[in-house]
Amino acid sequence: MAATAKKKVKNSSFGQTVIDGKNVTKIFGETVTALEGADFNIRAGEFISLVGPSGCGKSTLLRLVAGLIEKTSGDLTVNNEVVTKPRTDIGMMFQKAVLLDWRTAIENVLLPSEIQHRITQDDKNKAMASLDLVGLKGFEFHFPKQLSGGMQQRVALARLIQTGANIMLMDEPFGALDEFTRERLNIELERIVGELKATTLFVTHNIQEAIFLADRVLVMTPRPGRIAKIIDVDFDRPRDISIQTSRDFNIIVEEVRDTLGGH
Amino acid sequence: MKTMNFVISFLKYSLSFVIVLGLWEAYARYGGLNELFLPRPSKIGDKLYNLFFKFEIIEQGTIYWHFFATLAQMSIGFCYGIIIGNTLAIIAAFNETFRRYIAPYAVVFNVTPGIAVLPLIIAWFGFGWESKIALATLVCFFPPFINTLTGLLKKNDEAIELFQTIGATHSQYFWKQQLPNALPEIFAGLKLAITTALLGTIVAQFGSATEGVGILMQRFAFRLDMAGSFASLVTMAIMGLLVFTIAEVLDRRIVFWRDTKGLERVSRKKQRKLSSND
Repeated sequence: MAATAKKKVKNSSFGQTVIDGKNVTKIFGETVTALEGADFNIRAGEFISLVGPSGCGKSTLLRLVAGLIEKTSGDLTVNNEVVTKPRTDIGMMFQKAVLLDWRTAIENVLLPSEIQHRITQDDKNKAMASLDLVGLKGFEFHFPKQLSGGMQQRVALARLIQTGANIMLMDEPFGALDEFTRERLNIELERIVGELKATTLFVTHNIQEAIFLADRVLVMTPRPGRIAKIIDVDFDRPRDISIQTSRDFNIIVEEVRDTLGGH
Repeated sequence: MKTMNFVISFLKYSLSFVIVLGLWEAYARYGGLNELFLPRPSKIGDKLYNLFFKFEIIEQGTIYWHFFATLAQMSIGFCYGIIIGNTLAIIAAFNETFRRYIAPYAVVFNVTPGIAVLPLIIAWFGFGWESKIALATLVCFFPPFINTLTGLLKKNDEAIELFQTIGATHSQYFWKQQLPNALPEIFAGLKLAITTALLGTIVAQFGSATEGVGILMQRFAFRLDMAGSFASLVTMAIMGLLVFTIAEVLDRRIVFWRDTKGLERVSRKKQRKLSSND
């Protein structure tokens, strides 16, 4: 079964480079090197997992791409433009859902549209569709506090979809959830991202999760934060949770562990 | 079932209240109390009846006149207080230098008993309504200031990042996140302010006044009319309860997301609104 699940995905199945980093370095203050000499090249439609222990610079890398912080040196472009500030074609999701407690689920999803322009009926329809896509049909008028942690993250995902951003940055979005919820959301995220054909950078410290979702895994090591290895993951999509027990999957897990183990 | 429970608990509370009053009344009637110190409940009730329903005139006005004069002075002082307090808080929230320089004054101001400046206030503003309003303003602006400031400065890094990534301006962040996020604290400040404004108004009336429940209390006490004094006290309590209840109801309405009931109510309402639009 493992043999059939594994099928080489040709690199050419992805589009052209959308995120290009060369020798990207970020030093906080004078001395804290959060990220050192990172080289990476991410193509349209790719799902990239960044995995590594705390302090390996994975969140820093994400925030550099988002334009939330400025690099110290190196070159970083998104769609061939140098990153200087946040841009609306890049959306982000955080460990906390960051929902506005005084807004219903649908009002939270509409927030990005509202920031850009007056809300139209089109926006509302789109928000309903986004909530439907993340499996929250019927919960449109619930407030965040009436929803479970997993459902709150679903709302956050719907809000990210609503932005229409074709680059999605996710900073440990399921890190605070229990194992069962996390697994279900991983399966759904894989499906949703596949449907949207968005380019995704997904930060996590969970090796299984990183491999299950990714086309490529960037393994990062701390002090100073570095990209230690880039590993291809060539399972067919859509993926089934059962691949996690396959031999090929576990070979990749071992490879990630070995890379991290030296540090 | 729900109303039944409410009726039962209401009866229980009323019963315990009546028992306390009954014991007090009985003890006084058997001569256990010096009525120059503590008048019996029936006498206080009598006095209240005379004041509210027989329109007894004290110092050129009925109790209603004194009541509304106090309420008006308090309300004006309260409005000035929350405008000053909230304006200072917003400036302090956005300007770190201002915040740093105002901090020591705020501490000193907070530990100085505000009502102690009454003689100064009278010297500046005279014996009219101005001095009542001024003292109410002075004693009530601090809670809104410190609460609103705390609310606006609540740390929320991820929300800031979220708003940046969806391309929000600073003012959009303020109106859609920072201000609503601070509303629970802002309302806590208002509730504190409304009761301190009442305190300030009444104390200022003690200093000098021709109207207000403070002056009622003082006149009755000077005449050793204890039933009258206690009736004034009850009136003040009613006034305090009234303004506090208004603040509480507004708080529940506006900051509805704090408790489950509020969330359910608004959630249902929004759902109904959608289905009626269709």
